[in-house]
Amino acid sequence: MNLFEEVIYKNAELNTRRHFLKKCLSGMGGLALGSLLGSSLTSCGSNDPTGQMADLNNPMKALPSHFIPKAKRVIYLHMAGAPSQLELFDFKPELQKLNGLDCPPSLLEGKRFAFIQGTPQMLGPQYQFKQYGQSGAWVSDRLPYFSQNVDDVSFLKAMHTDEFNHAPAQLLMQTGSARLGKPSIGSWVTYGLGSENQNLPGFVVFVSGGTTPSAGKSIWGSGFLPTVYQGVQCRSKGDPVLYLSDPKGVSRELREKTIDIINDINRQQYQEVGDPEIMTRISQYEMAFKMQVSVPETMDISDEPKYIHEMYGTEPGKSSFANNCLLARRLAEKGVRFIQLYHYGWDSHGSNQKESLHHGFNDRCQEVDKPMSALLQDLKQRGLLDDTLVIWGGEFGRTPMRENRGGKEMKFQGRDHHLEAFTIWMAGGGVKPGLSYGETDEIGYYGIKDRVHVHDLQATILHLLGMDHEKLTYQFQGRDFRLTDVHGNVVEKIIA
Amino acid sequence: MINFKSFKRIIPFGFTGAMAILVLGLSCNDQEDEKVDFNAEVRPIINNKCISCHGGVKQSGKFSLLFESEALAATKSGEPAIVPGHADESEMIKRILHEDPEVRMPPEGPPLDPKEIDILKKWINQGAKWEDHWSFIPPTDKEIPEISESGWTDNPIDAFVLEKMEEKGLSPSPQAPAATLARRLSLDLTGLPPTPEMVKKLEESPELTTYEELVDELLASPQYGERWAAMWMDLARYADTKGYQKDRHRPMWKFRDWVIDAFNADMPFDQFTIEQIAGDLLPNPNKDQLIATGFHRNTMTNDESGTDDEEFRVAAVLDRVNTTWEVWQGITFACVQCHSHPYDPIKHEEFYEFYAFFNNTSDADTWTDSPTMPVYTKIEEQERANILHWIDSVKSASPKTNYQFAHQIEEKEAELKSIRPDPLPVMEELSADERRQTFVFERGNWMEHGKEVQPGVPGSMPKFSDTLPNNRLGLAKWIVSDDNPLTARVTVNRIWAQLFGRGIVETQEDFGSQGFEPTHPELLDWMAVNWMKEQHWQLKPLLKMMVMSATYRQSSELSKEALDKDAANYWLSRGPRVRLTAEQVRDQALAVSGLLSKKMFGPSVMPPQPDGVWQVINNPEKWIESKGDDKHRRGIYTYWRRTSPYPSMVSFDSPSREFCVNRRIRTNTPLQALVTMNDPVYVEAAQALALKMKAAGSTLDEQLKEGYELALFKQPKPQVLNSLKELYQTAYLHFEANGEGLENLGKQETDPSINALTMVANSILNLDGFITKD
Repeated sequence: MNLFEEVIYKNAELNTRRHFLKKCLSGMGGLALGSLLGSSLTSCGSNDPTGQMADLNNPMKALPSHFIPKAKRVIYLHMAGAPSQLELFDFKPELQKLNGLDCPPSLLEGKRFAFIQGTPQMLGPQYQFKQYGQSGAWVSDRLPYFSQNVDDVSFLKAMHTDEFNHAPAQLLMQTGSARLGKPSIGSWVTYGLGSENQNLPGFVVFVSGGTTPSAGKSIWGSGFLPTVYQGVQCRSKGDPVLYLSDPKGVSRELREKTIDIINDINRQQYQEVGDPEIMTRISQYEMAFKMQVSVPETMDISDEPKYIHEMYGTEPGKSSFANNCLLARRLAEKGVRFIQLYHYGWDSHGSNQKESLHHGFNDRCQEVDKPMSALLQDLKQRGLLDDTLVIWGGEFGRTPMRENRGGKEMKFQGRDHHLEAFTIWMAGGGVKPGLSYGETDEIGYYGIKDRVHVHDLQATILHLLGMDHEKLTYQFQGRDFRLTDVHGNVVEKIIA
Repeated sequence: MINFKSFKRIIPFGFTGAMAILVLGLSCNDQEDEKVDFNAEVRPIINNKCISCHGGVKQSGKFSLLFESEALAATKSGEPAIVPGHADESEMIKRILHEDPEVRMPPEGPPLDPKEIDILKKWINQGAKWEDHWSFIPPTDKEIPEISESGWTDNPIDAFVLEKMEEKGLSPSPQAPAATLARRLSLDLTGLPPTPEMVKKLEESPELTTYEELVDELLASPQYGERWAAMWMDLARYADTKGYQKDRHRPMWKFRDWVIDAFNADMPFDQFTIEQIAGDLLPNPNKDQLIATGFHRNTMTNDESGTDDEEFRVAAVLDRVNTTWEVWQGITFACVQCHSHPYDPIKHEEFYEFYAFFNNTSDADTWTDSPTMPVYTKIEEQERANILHWIDSVKSASPKTNYQFAHQIEEKEAELKSIRPDPLPVMEELSADERRQTFVFERGNWMEHGKEVQPGVPGSMPKFSDTLPNNRLGLAKWIVSDDNPLTARVTVNRIWAQLFGRGIVETQEDFGSQGFEPTHPELLDWMAVNWMKEQHWQLKPLLKMMVMSATYRQSSELSKEALDKDAANYWLSRGPRVRLTAEQVRDQALAVSGLLSKKMFGPSVMPPQPDGVWQVINNPEKWIESKGDDKHRRGIYTYWRRTSPYPSMVSFDSPSREFCVNRRIRTNTPLQALVTMNDPVYVEAAQALALKMKAAGSTLDEQLKEGYELALFKQPKPQVLNSLKELYQTAYLHFEANGEGLENLGKQETDPSINALTMVANSILNLDGFITKD
């Protein structure tokens, strides 16, 4: 950003919505969007509802941030089910030595686990580790492609959370609260910043791995924010966005004509009754028409060159994490603000083959390794990695103990849910490359240095996007809510 | 004139401060004697500038402005910060005026402006008298203003509205055209468009008496109950699944049916309240009263393995507390779970006293959702009654006959057993020896117990009468007692908002001090009192009064003057113009095309939904498309899965029903356009409407007019007709050239004229005038 842009930013800051909001104490947060009907002209100032009015006809309009952002957009790869950090990034040779020994009581006292009962045994790392790149980052042999990219990545190794069941932990990670009803991080970001492309949704969600994450669609819901900010799920089968395609037999030209006529009549209606909401509706129909072209175009990866398909491991028309990674890049290129991917199936308890470290977990690694590495390289070669923040991680970690559901040894090997320690990585968007931040103890049970809580991570993401997590607020039920509730510290040390 | 008395007092505080006050004294002293209005003038300053550090959450310097007693009490320094009668001796004022920005209050942001300081000073000088927030003072019977405008004198609503309108320099709009009015009225009262006959009747004799007949007819129709129950479903957080990770099926539909019946029977709202909150505690409750308690069994149950049942039982009880406050009191109680209310006079401890009322039911987050009661559909009930009657009459005949019929009796009994009930979750109080103790949760954490508390209501609210039982039943009666300041206001406001698109208090969910002030406080109070006293808590007379008013009957056209002076129509100088709700958008399209099924009640149905929308972990339940008529039932009967609600309704702002929602925020998005253009349900409606158009006459003009009129109840203007014709012609040429024709829901239509009419119908069903109530 040059000086000139900076000046524009500073000026714009004076007039941002949040600035406006800060002055408002009206019930709905004073947020005034042209398309919030009825309440569209909410007031500002005192609690007198008829005071000053604002006119924002486009809720997804790109808005300036609180300060100069390092990242303009986010691609968040959420590994639903929580991958084991001990088999991927957090190398613990000491744990190998303890393999098969009973867990000392001191690690169990006063702890609640989802499934571990009685005295479990310690479980050493199940895969080989090596150091890679200039940074010497430890990565296991499960991620051969990713290990070539470690110098672009910042690892947060002492992450911790408050929840050890999937649904609440995913909610905490994605909405800042383990309870339902709060807006997701993507909703907050698009509410605060809008989006740079008006022909595509500003907050797009992809799901792979066969099913929606445990917490359901609430993790990309808009909570108490207007529904316009909820994530739009793009699907790889059927309509990419629900109801996007016209009924069979209707051509593009005929749909255009239909919308023209609808808008013509609506314009006549506006002449007669003068309700500005009609003009908003006209523009929404125009936008719907544009989306009908731009979404399928963006979602159709068949026009990508062969080398790109080989790089990601994509196959047009298939539903896969790989396809979703490539789609994420295409959306990022087009200026979509927040792109959220969920890949389901990481829950490696050892209770059956699918949920075990040697089978299901192994398969997941193969599914994500090549595409996520390709995504980093592809963003980099296009110059997009500088202002695109990529985040990878699950909702919690796994125990250094082997899970013994019902107090018995299980046929397969696996680990229980663990809230005290897990690893996530971030890349691009103003994050220091080649960094390993935070440490866990010698068995990877507890963070001992530079621990980062979920709320800290959220504060950092917003910070990189140029927003102060304490100032991005929305008034609901009489008080200001924010993504990080009353918590969160920006992790300054990982910022470039 | 300089007030020398206060001048002398301020001398010790330093020159700068003195100068500031001197200036103030000069500018404002001439109003010294005017009484400061605490709620209108002082409270906003406190709430905006002071309360975040000196309120329910924080009490910096041990000074809080939440309660009078706290504000006047000694602070950390040992001295009170406010000395009534002596602003200049009050530390509060000294700190506000301090020249050192490090010491001056508020510590962040600009200093208070001179006008604000003046108000605070005058208020303290006048004795620092506290006043309850308006909504905590019970409504009194307000005098109806005298007005002279013809047609506006009969209905008290109009008198209040007109008075305000005139105050703002606005004048009322003429009455809406008969057809518009009939459509508005029918959509408001039944959620469905009127029949062409109703419109015709009113057009032919547009007198008030005809209109009144129409009002009575609509209020008496069974569809009335469905429309108002749809509103209640958001409040009751009704769903057909349990929520959380697994989100399995839960048969709650009998509760929904109870609500529809209650609205149709115009059950007085006090009884409606008591039965839902505490029907099980009534003496010898009947079946319906137990079904009513399903209201608070709409809380979620967590079936995920590894979860702590007590944690989620507590979550359900917390939800009952918050929902009760939000629905009946319009106060956001949830804040108080963790600390005293930041703005409203409710203490942390009081939250748990209220919680204690709900903490002794036997449900405990188990997968069976126990306790439940067996319920049957109305048809099944009838069948069972018939069989039982037959068996009884046979058995009561002679024993010989009994023997003769033994085989048949066996068969009938088997038939009876084959009618399987659904288990409806209900409320049940724990017995005396099983009762739980209730503790304050420190910082809202259910595992950190503070002191034990007993059931009680907040001290800032009316007393809980000694004659009431100290349980949920007593609580329900307290909520609907005449001296509860909030219940009637909140409910009347909610009904008003349903008709006018906005409440008199816009923040329907927040009547507390951070909510909006009412635009028409006297009207709200008058209606609240009148509703309790004269209308006996019944909604039908209340609704009738509202829709009979001239205010309601105004045209919604927006003049340039009104746009400039009151764009959002706060002062009601025109009729409401509001986008329809998610349910209404659907029901209306089905109704005008003739597809709508009028079948009422019973288990929820699954109309067409795109493949792959339901993908929930460890849950084999599938969306199995309903057959026949059930595809075209009203929106209120659509199966509601919390983690994946019916997508087209969510696009139109339906909440997920995971928790109580008091007010849907209406949005206007491209996704809505995609629904009404392309969702097969709407395409099917367009096809059905096209067939009606085709049958209406042999000329294109006749056909197009028919379609427009069936949907909008008026003739298209020539220009509109031309537009529709243009579309028809383009579409016709397209379908003629493209032999394949239009396909929807597996059906192929090859007649180009029907296909072209379908495209016209599709555009009519997307017009602003159609999606909007005007």
